[in-house]
Amino acid sequence: MLKILDFFDYAKSESLWMAHFCTGCCSLEMAAAMGPRYDWERYGYMPTPTPRQADVLMITGLVSKKILPALLRTYAQMPEPKYIVALGACSFDGGPYNDSLAVIKNPTEILPADVFIAGCPPKPEAIIEGLEAVKKKIKEGIPSAASQGGLWKEMEF
Amino acid sequence: MEHLKELISRFSCAYVEDYKKIWIKAKLNSKDDLLDVAKALQTEGLRSLSTVSPTDFAEDGIMEINYFFEDLDTKRNLWLKVDLPRDEAVCEIESLTPLFASANWHEREAYSMFGVRFLHHPDLRDIIKSEDFRDKYPFRVDFDWDAHEKETVANVQQIVDAFKKEQSENEVDLESDSSETILNWGPTHPASGPIRLRVHCDGEEIISIDPDIGYVWRALEHLVTKKDFIGAIVAVERLCFMDNINSMVGYAMAVEEIAGVTITPFASWMRVLLGETARISSHFMGMGVFFNNMGLHTLAMWNMDTREFFLDFLESYSGARIATAAIEPGGVRYGLDMRMFDELQKALDKFDANIDEVEAIFVKNPTMRMRAAEVGRLSADEIHMFGLSGIVARASGVKTDIRIDEPYAAYDKLDLEYITQERGSARDRFVMIFEELKSSVAIIKKAKQHIEEAVANGEMNPTKDHMVKVPKKLPKGEAISRVEWARGEVLMHLVTQEKAKSPYRLKMRAPSFNHTMMLDYLLRGQTLSDIPLIFGSLYVCQGDLDR
Amino acid sequence: MSELFFNAFVFPGLLYVLIWTVGLFWFFRKFMAALHKRVGPSFNGKAGSYQTLFDLSKLLTKESITPDGVNPYLFSIMPLLAVIVAMLPSAFIPWMDSFVVIKSDYGLLALVVLIGIEPFLLFLTGFGSHNKYSFLGGIRILTQAISMETAFVLAALSPAILFSTLNLSAIVEQSSWFSFLVLFPGFILYFIALLGLLEQPPFNIPDAEQEIVFGFYTEYSGTNYFLLQVAMFAEFMAVFAGAVTLFLGAYKGIFFDSYLFFFLKMLSIALVMMTIRAATPRITLSQMLNFSWKYMVPLALLNIAWIFFAKSLWFMGA
Repeated sequence: MLKILDFFDYAKSESLWMAHFCTGCCSLEMAAAMGPRYDWERYGYMPTPTPRQADVLMITGLVSKKILPALLRTYAQMPEPKYIVALGACSFDGGPYNDSLAVIKNPTEILPADVFIAGCPPKPEAIIEGLEAVKKKIKEGIPSAASQGGLWKEMEF
Repeated sequence: MEHLKELISRFSCAYVEDYKKIWIKAKLNSKDDLLDVAKALQTEGLRSLSTVSPTDFAEDGIMEINYFFEDLDTKRNLWLKVDLPRDEAVCEIESLTPLFASANWHEREAYSMFGVRFLHHPDLRDIIKSEDFRDKYPFRVDFDWDAHEKETVANVQQIVDAFKKEQSENEVDLESDSSETILNWGPTHPASGPIRLRVHCDGEEIISIDPDIGYVWRALEHLVTKKDFIGAIVAVERLCFMDNINSMVGYAMAVEEIAGVTITPFASWMRVLLGETARISSHFMGMGVFFNNMGLHTLAMWNMDTREFFLDFLESYSGARIATAAIEPGGVRYGLDMRMFDELQKALDKFDANIDEVEAIFVKNPTMRMRAAEVGRLSADEIHMFGLSGIVARASGVKTDIRIDEPYAAYDKLDLEYITQERGSARDRFVMIFEELKSSVAIIKKAKQHIEEAVANGEMNPTKDHMVKVPKKLPKGEAISRVEWARGEVLMHLVTQEKAKSPYRLKMRAPSFNHTMMLDYLLRGQTLSDIPLIFGSLYVCQGDLDR
Repeated sequence: MSELFFNAFVFPGLLYVLIWTVGLFWFFRKFMAALHKRVGPSFNGKAGSYQTLFDLSKLLTKESITPDGVNPYLFSIMPLLAVIVAMLPSAFIPWMDSFVVIKSDYGLLALVVLIGIEPFLLFLTGFGSHNKYSFLGGIRILTQAISMETAFVLAALSPAILFSTLNLSAIVEQSSWFSFLVLFPGFILYFIALLGLLEQPPFNIPDAEQEIVFGFYTEYSGTNYFLLQVAMFAEFMAVFAGAVTLFLGAYKGIFFDSYLFFFLKMLSIALVMMTIRAATPRITLSQMLNFSWKYMVPLALLNIAWIFFAKSLWFMGA
């Protein structure tokens, strides 16, 4: 019995589907990661049209004030277990838009990310490496960061 | 040109002068003349209003409004200024929207950002800025951003409340026994990207569309004023990452004009080369998106395959695949190692090997023709009326291409010809992208050959000629520059103050703004299936839509 | 009893359908990737062959969300019903020589009816989802099913008319190279209608991602979505098997008869379907309706006339 459960846990870690949601420029490199040269499907990643079937939400770059509620709603619509990958400098501290006050500078304080991927925008290789880190995290049984805390729990959206 | 000048001189003007080759710059003494001037211009043939750009001179108490009128046929353009009092209560002017349909959203933007009220505007609502800025005008010089920023949580709450209020009320007016409904097409939608279309539809049929934009609003035009002239290119290139080089070229040209600097021939040829490379990488995406939106991903994948090779060249030149920051005022940022051309040659070979296949399978695709040949048609008159540019304009047979009309960089040394399509349908726009892709590759080949020959002759030094020094502090001045971007015309209006270290005002007129305005016009009465098709064919990038 | 158990849960029942689902899902992705100039699943197992097993297992064990405002019974029971109904036709298919689970003289009717019910169940999933996009998807699938099934049934009837029987085993026994040629127009019509019934391009209108998010799948997650996926692949199997049985001589092969040939024939239909998928954009609902009623249905009727003609010419003596 334990073996079967282990198998399902392993299956969860090896099959990550992304919600189709782009908040910023990094989605361009995400498209490149899907493309022939990098082809993230080799590792089993796949975009899905609706958040209901997704395992991973990618914060692709900047999060403006206006899109934040939509981002949180999308996260809430995903089924458990769900993970968040933050792409690019913007999702860490605003990046090149740090001076711009129309942009949320700390989106990952609101919605904590499991993995940060550096770059502006991160290269496709880096995106795939980041997703592999998510796999590792799932295999080690570490609960997702957003389930542990974050401002989003106190916010209404 | 002289006729136009004479026409303007009939009104009371502070000055009327020639500016560049195909521009006339004029300033009206009184805002009451505006409507008459606009009417006269329209009969004269200047039927497009490129943009409306207010500049806030707080010290003088003046809000200066710049209108950029264009005639896409005869290439006569007018830069018209008029002063308004800055005080919010009296900061108002007649709207030009009844005369120039293209002014609609541009005036809404000026209203949202600067609080200029346009009288008799049919639909003067906030656009782009989020709900927390309601009744606040963020681009006014005296707006206290930091105070606003302290309230982030409350601001987001305000946005949420407004959205919920809208969702609870938007269907109240609909009849209870009809099948009418309102769909949110985006922002969590596989084909939308960060934009929301409020689609008012009856079953499959669309009644009207109200685009809700601003989901990637970064206030770039305000952001550049916080940076120095070099640092500003970081913001400028993020106008849209798909073709970032050409937007930097536009900005650099404006700065160079104020600084009075001329760049070297090598730098100008490099701008052509890099610009076309970026254009190609953008067009590849555009073609892919068009077919993606009809449910076919193969073309996007094939294009991505070739595109990577062009990005390789950009990477070998600048170190970054996309965020290259390769153009700066005074030339291009880096010297050229001639071995980098090997990368470019690889990309060109790859392109040549694949392009026939793409044409046979996708450009001549019968199902695509069946879908797209009749929908989303725009006539040449509508192009003028709505101020459209780029591939959308040329697909309707309008001969406009800033690379030819007002050559910049080294485009005047290339024999370019207008590439146009006739019918202006969604399919023609797609074919237009494809044709332009081929012509861009031809330009790259010429530019590459020219640089190689000139370097071999010793006319250019690729490691030293790339930059001319531009002073860090610029004099007081004002310049506009236009570039042919992948998606159309980008107009940069740069204003500097005395001994400025950073831009005082930079208006970026981006083509997607006008193209998105067309959605409602084109989609009324069509079916839901046409939304992604026409949206894709208009070649919209949300980055430059919101800025 | 044990035979029934075997049929229901092993072959051609549950286990067979699950293996088929995993295998065909993998095959689709791998083949599609090749047409995209990509590699496709590659690192889990040999050539990524475990990937879809992992994907489906994950879906099976993930949280199933029942959104607010839906009727929970309708929402959750429909995927299960869809799977069962999609699996039933395989009971009537002659998979091997003298292997039919339910021997019936009306096997063809049962096949057509069971394939025909499926879209209505999927419509109910969309109807029960309390989501505008799901509902639009449901309406679309109903519209498409009604217009495509007319041609589908007419095309499926042509072998029955030719051989004067509704018994699938009898049809297979009487089929020959010559009858394949006579039935070829019917086969083409069946294949086009099949694309419409299975929502494959250019008729993937009901779950058009770019238009209505994911159609009736939009609100489904976890186990329910897993069931819908299995239902979809089981439906593939039923329709492919129908085509192979009716037109391509089922298990008949060169030199010897075997299930292997049946499988290869199904696979080749899947192959053609995927190639069309990779090269054809989607058409609109009104174009589909036009196409179906203006061309497919008249042609299917014409095909019936042709079958009668051929029968009177060559098959009366038999």
